[in-house]
Amino acid sequence: MSTKVIRDQPGRTGTTGARPGAMGFLTDTTLCIGCKACEVACKQWNQLPMDEFGFTGYSYDNTGDLSGTTWRHVAFIERISDSEGRRPTSMRAFQSNWLMMSDVCKHCVYAGCMEACPTGAIIRTEFDTVVVQQDVCNGCGYCVPACPFGVIALDLGDGRARVGDHKAHKCTLCYDRLRDGLEPACAKACPTDSIQFGLVEDLMDRAKQRVADLRAQGVEEAHIYGDRAVGGTGGIEGLNAFFILTAPPEVYNLPAQPELPQRKTIPASVSTALAAVAFAVGAILSLRRK
Amino acid sequence: MAYERRWETRRRGGRSAGDEARESYYGVPVIHRAPWRWEIPTYFFLGGIAGASYVIAGIAHVFGGDEERPVVRAGRYLSLAALIPSPILLILDLGRPERFHHMLRVFKVRSPMSVGTWGLVVFGAFSTLSALIQAAEDGLFGRGTLVARLLLRLPSRAIAFLGQFPAFFVSGYTGVLLAATAVPLWTRNYLLMGPLFLASALSNALAAITLILTVAGRTSHRSLRRLERFETVVMGVEALLLAALRLNSGKTIARPMHEGRLGRIYRVGVLGTGLGLPLLVQAPGAWLGRRLPRGVTVLAALLTLIGGALFRYLIVTAGHRSADDPQATFELTRARENGSRRS
Repeated sequence: MSTKVIRDQPGRTGTTGARPGAMGFLTDTTLCIGCKACEVACKQWNQLPMDEFGFTGYSYDNTGDLSGTTWRHVAFIERISDSEGRRPTSMRAFQSNWLMMSDVCKHCVYAGCMEACPTGAIIRTEFDTVVVQQDVCNGCGYCVPACPFGVIALDLGDGRARVGDHKAHKCTLCYDRLRDGLEPACAKACPTDSIQFGLVEDLMDRAKQRVADLRAQGVEEAHIYGDRAVGGTGGIEGLNAFFILTAPPEVYNLPAQPELPQRKTIPASVSTALAAVAFAVGAILSLRRK
Repeated sequence: MAYERRWETRRRGGRSAGDEARESYYGVPVIHRAPWRWEIPTYFFLGGIAGASYVIAGIAHVFGGDEERPVVRAGRYLSLAALIPSPILLILDLGRPERFHHMLRVFKVRSPMSVGTWGLVVFGAFSTLSALIQAAEDGLFGRGTLVARLLLRLPSRAIAFLGQFPAFFVSGYTGVLLAATAVPLWTRNYLLMGPLFLASALSNALAAITLILTVAGRTSHRSLRRLERFETVVMGVEALLLAALRLNSGKTIARPMHEGRLGRIYRVGVLGTGLGLPLLVQAPGAWLGRRLPRGVTVLAALLTLIGGALFRYLIVTAGHRSADDPQATFELTRARENGSRRS
């Protein structure tokens, strides 16, 4: 995996297309201690069923992945060896050889799941978050491969067919709590303020300051994930829930420069239409009256 | 579901956690694969035949002579017959089938599935109407009855011509639908998916019509040869598009199409049985005028149809596999220095 330092891009780094008044998360992974309080708080508040109990066998991460019933997921990345396969012999002063990140729905400024949804179940709320209306979703599943981050999923009940409701689910940014003026459950529960909630514009300023501080302390890899340079690229125009990372995004299982899938709709349609014209001409030439 | 997949990826490689951690996050997929089951590739196959046989029937009707009447007849009936199971399959695949009508509460230009739903509704009207007209022409509604007279008075050529637009749409939009996702294999080949699905739909419809006409045995040899000529051209184009897909995907993203069971299905089923053999058998007959025994024509048509069904299964399943492969996603989304993306 590339361990290249993510470089700043003038005019793009630290900028986002978030609409004024948009609410979001800043997840500062340098503050995460891997306590999973966010996972638990999310499950409790949103009354999400437990996942199958088991061990992955590869790290302290036994949650594994975001799913229809897991809307916060703490990733545990052990820097076991460097790019040449050598074991590390020293440790960074500010952090152990573990990287921890609480992953969540990014609430994209332009969201692939929302554009894909054929029923209009996925909407943008007054807080500029992306929410699935459960009374509308019919479980077609098209939003699932349309998310460039692997967030949204159908609740299929882990193979126990009658348990899941077979509809699409993901983080709502605690829409019900926001309506009552409360912060989302995960941010409330986070003991180190690794998860911060607020106006995206304020959070972005805070993130830029934090990255500058980290770099001054010698963490030159520190960067924002979710601005127009990294994470919010390719027509997504920024993530309302964004992150501070200290390694390339791939290390955290995040795509460095994803693209809004629906950007392909028009060129793909044009090429299909051109092919249709060519085939129609071929058919006319083959079948016309001689 | 997430759990099952993790163990699967751990077991498949048989490598240490250290290896996996270096290349990705312990092999956990970056994106989620589509939750579709067998219904979707089956619909792609049948919907493609429904659309493309309407295309063949319509073009034979508008531009062909009286000799093509059997082609028009077979195409019109086949179109409706292949179309009828399509919405049933699509509804069955929904997580909540009883809510299928929620698709009809909005029209979203940016969502290929929304546009596709409406396209299918419009095409359904054309396909049904043309099949009814054919039935009236065949006297299935009796002679001189009100229904028969009403249907026979309709401008069937104009209907066939207008119906070409939704028919081509239904044959090809499914490729666009797959292209507009984050799945590496589908979105990397976004310009090829629609044309490839169109070509597959046309070759399958031509094979099915040839099959029906040969078995029924009431078609002129010349008319059959015209169909076969066009079919060989379409299959040639399909083979070229598949080669382009391979080149354009690159090694990592194309991996599921070439390894293991799927790789064998691709080589033996799609390329060998579905394209190679029928081309080999049909091309001399179609272009050099050599008359083939009926059994051979029937066999070639059957092989084409099997290959077509396997192709739909392959492209969907290989897409799932590429979605499960973190390296394929990273190949697509790797950071580039100047922030510009290769698409």
